[in-house]
Amino acid sequence: MGKPKAIVDEKICLACGGCISVCPQDAMFMNGGKAFVKKDDCISCAICIRTCPVGAISGEVY
Amino acid sequence: MKYDVVIVGAGPAGTVTGRYAAESGAKVLIIDRRQEVGVPVLCGEGVSRKIDDWGMLEGRRWIAGSMDGARIYSPDGTMVKLSADMAGNETGYVIYRDIFDQELAYQAIKAGAKIMLDTTALSLLKKDDKIKGVKANQFGQDFEIEADIVVGADGVESRIGLWGGIETTLKPKDLETCAQYTLSNIDCKDAYCDFYLGKDIAPGGYVWVFPKGKDIANVGIGILSSLSEAGMAKKLLDKFIDNNPRLKNGEPLRFLAGAVPVANPIESVRDNLILVGDAARQVDPITGGGITCCLEGGKIAGETIGMAVESQKFDKETLSAYEVGWKEAFGKKLRRNYLVKETVLDFDDKTFNMLADSLKDYKFEELSTFGLVKALVTKHPTLLMKLRPLMKISSEVKE
Repeated sequence: MGKPKAIVDEKICLACGGCISVCPQDAMFMNGGKAFVKKDDCISCAICIRTCPVGAISGEVY
Repeated sequence: MKYDVVIVGAGPAGTVTGRYAAESGAKVLIIDRRQEVGVPVLCGEGVSRKIDDWGMLEGRRWIAGSMDGARIYSPDGTMVKLSADMAGNETGYVIYRDIFDQELAYQAIKAGAKIMLDTTALSLLKKDDKIKGVKANQFGQDFEIEADIVVGADGVESRIGLWGGIETTLKPKDLETCAQYTLSNIDCKDAYCDFYLGKDIAPGGYVWVFPKGKDIANVGIGILSSLSEAGMAKKLLDKFIDNNPRLKNGEPLRFLAGAVPVANPIESVRDNLILVGDAARQVDPITGGGITCCLEGGKIAGETIGMAVESQKFDKETLSAYEVGWKEAFGKKLRRNYLVKETVLDFDDKTFNMLADSLKDYKFEELSTFGLVKALVTKHPTLLMKLRPLMKISSEVKE
């Protein structure tokens, strides 16, 4: 089992862009007013999870 | 279609750049991924009265209210009142950012710029490793926009800068993560922008109340990402509102989340590439305000583009006129305020309380550095130690 990777709950995300601007791997992007994670690029650092002002990002083990 | 310049992002930095580039004779296209300029609003909507000096806006429709000043509350509730002149940035007007942004976009259009909405930049268009425009998508259709200069006005999460090889990733200690309600049914008869400090209120940031009318205000919070946990900004804001007698009966008309760079200025120019606004970290690291920088920097960017188009030179050296210009105009101040931010972050609640207690009766109209320091240390001599790094900054870095 690998480390948990970031996943964005689209229902909560308000597209502020905070997560994207702090992601050290450029593993996040905006699409249609929601943030998304490129799972293969995520290094499980959890910076985006801590940054999200509304708690829309969590870790999920794949 | 070939343009002289394609600007990614129709916020204030993008449209002011577009306006002055078009006025200087450049053929300008501005693209934005949103369906409406200025919407959704991602802003506390407090701006300095300095924007009047540039005369870039027509009419007053974008003003919600003129402020008499600012009140800063220390963790124990001690209040320091600043007049509008003294409060400096971000407390002159409370504005309607959607109308404000549309007004600036309209000025760009009148100058000859074209705008395409619902248009997302996908990547830089390159030939022989040289930037030649952007690849974009509109209504599901991919297409190429050719241009001699690409302007990244694409905000805090700028992709254009990153794609162009500029290090734009922010450290968590250089980002404020924000949440804000526009609350109605509250009491804000006084035309003052209020700021609340304290590590339990807003770690590494502050809570703000910016009135948009007598019973309506933007009530928001910014906390430093490095001190944040998942969802903390919203939770702390909700707690603040629930515990505040003036706000707790308020009902929201709008909720938003935001992110504000509070970083050192970065490199903003490459061959065929310019960054403006939040993308270039043109934000005051103390207040988190960026509108005045967008206007001042956008004008310099637009005029530089005009000059580049006239000489048909688009290399980094030519475009550096912009970088030199904005760093001279306000970049130095941002760098100094970044040092101040770093120092103040180490202050504990007790220090803020002592500061506020020393300053609460101080007549800021008679401000002098000596008088201020005297007022600060007379009541609380231990402040001298805490303030020494700040005095060092102000003596070493002149504006």
